[in-house]
Amino acid sequence: MLGKVLKHELRATSHTMLPLIGGMLLVALMGNVCVRLGNGRDLPAAVSLIITLVMVLFFVGIFAIGFVTVYMMVRRFRDNLLRDEGYIMHTLPVSVHAQIWSKVLVSALWYALTAVTIAAAAVLLTFGADTVKIIGDLFKTLYDVFTQGDGHIAEILVEFLAVLVLASLALSLSFDAALSVGHAFAKHKMAASVAVFIGFVVLEEILLATLGNLSMDTLENVGRLEPMDLIGGWRAYCAWTAGMILLEGGLSYAVTAYFLKRRLNLE
Amino acid sequence: MAILECKGLSKSYGPVKALDGVSFTVGSGRIVGLLGPNGSGKTTLIKLANGLLTPSSGELLINGQRPGVETKKVVSYLPERSCLPEWMSAWQLMDFYGDFYQDFDRSAAEAMLTRLSIDPRARLKHLSKGNREKVQLIMVMARKAQIYLLDEPIGGVDPAARDFILSTIISNYNPTASVVISTHLIADVERVLDDVIFISQGKVVLAAPADQLREQQGKSVDQIFREVFRC
Repeated sequence: MLGKVLKHELRATSHTMLPLIGGMLLVALMGNVCVRLGNGRDLPAAVSLIITLVMVLFFVGIFAIGFVTVYMMVRRFRDNLLRDEGYIMHTLPVSVHAQIWSKVLVSALWYALTAVTIAAAAVLLTFGADTVKIIGDLFKTLYDVFTQGDGHIAEILVEFLAVLVLASLALSLSFDAALSVGHAFAKHKMAASVAVFIGFVVLEEILLATLGNLSMDTLENVGRLEPMDLIGGWRAYCAWTAGMILLEGGLSYAVTAYFLKRRLNLE
Repeated sequence: MAILECKGLSKSYGPVKALDGVSFTVGSGRIVGLLGPNGSGKTTLIKLANGLLTPSSGELLINGQRPGVETKKVVSYLPERSCLPEWMSAWQLMDFYGDFYQDFDRSAAEAMLTRLSIDPRARLKHLSKGNREKVQLIMVMARKAQIYLLDEPIGGVDPAARDFILSTIISNYNPTASVVISTHLIADVERVLDDVIFISQGKVVLAAPADQLREQQGKSVDQIFREVFRC
């Protein structure tokens, strides 16, 4: 059933996300035209004003699209599982786990596509005769860098991206958990959700600090705390960060599943 | 075999008892009226049967199983309010219901939409409130479910729409299935009911076949309801 829920989740989110992404790319294209128009030319005031407005729209859009995507995904979870649509969704012959995973995986997909859109918009804005050559040179340089030094740079990038993906999944789950707990209250559900989210962040910091201190103490006690080389340090850092993210994500998942299953409070 | 069975079922919201030791059974092929004034616990009972709430104590079984993924395959539920995503069209809704419910009869749904002259390609947000509610009822009744749980299906609609809703229920439900209709508008539904369950302040105060009740008391179910729940 997860496949079916994913299919409908993608369909439901596409009708808001595709126009957003399309709009961003269109603004970038318009920005490109504006850059070419304004390049060293003396233009009438009205045209200059339009060019300025398009450029402002582009830069505001680049900064806003990430926040808008997160907002859309949080709102989707709330509206689809915790408000009226919940009467339809929670009476489907689908487990709570499939419902949560569909939301988390589709959110992660849109976060990734938003990141790609931002990069594509930047390329579109500056696209010109030399762009293909510049991008080609960039990839060549990246290839050279990745194939040097025993492949460590490629490893660092892959591990960094893996941690980033895990972090985006865990962030989605934190929002979902806070909303699920907040909406179990009889009144002021959104205010309660925000308060719960802040509570989660505080608890998470305490847990991180406690586990960090415990780990260091344990390593010192068993005499394993030795100086590492750069790549060894990076690997240890990635492993620690991934572990903490998985712990945070796992706890958020458990809280979300419990509240959707046992403490659902649809109005 | 009972399709729906409640044994000492209770549900509390904090200090408030919405249901208090409710016990009854619903057999196959029966149309049952779950009758009671507002706030008597009807919606809570239906939510429990759909797994939207968990009991504080006691047990509710559907086909001998606690509400879960398996029971949701055989229960067709009409919530008391319109809950369909408004960005969807009836066409997309039929895809949606068809994907999740093996017993969804798409041709029956299309026939009902055609009879009501509802454009299946129009988004729900472009339909009137009444038509949105009818689309929701059509999706529910187009399933060949084992039990239909209809929460206030005729609440807040005009008399003509009430007739349509009741005729849709009667002409579309699977005859071997059971239908539970929760309402406080007894006069409109009385003619279709096989059994009645009166519920008051979270307790079952009367449960009997409708004909037997009418014969014994020489009154309509509506009159009995008015006497039982006189303010």
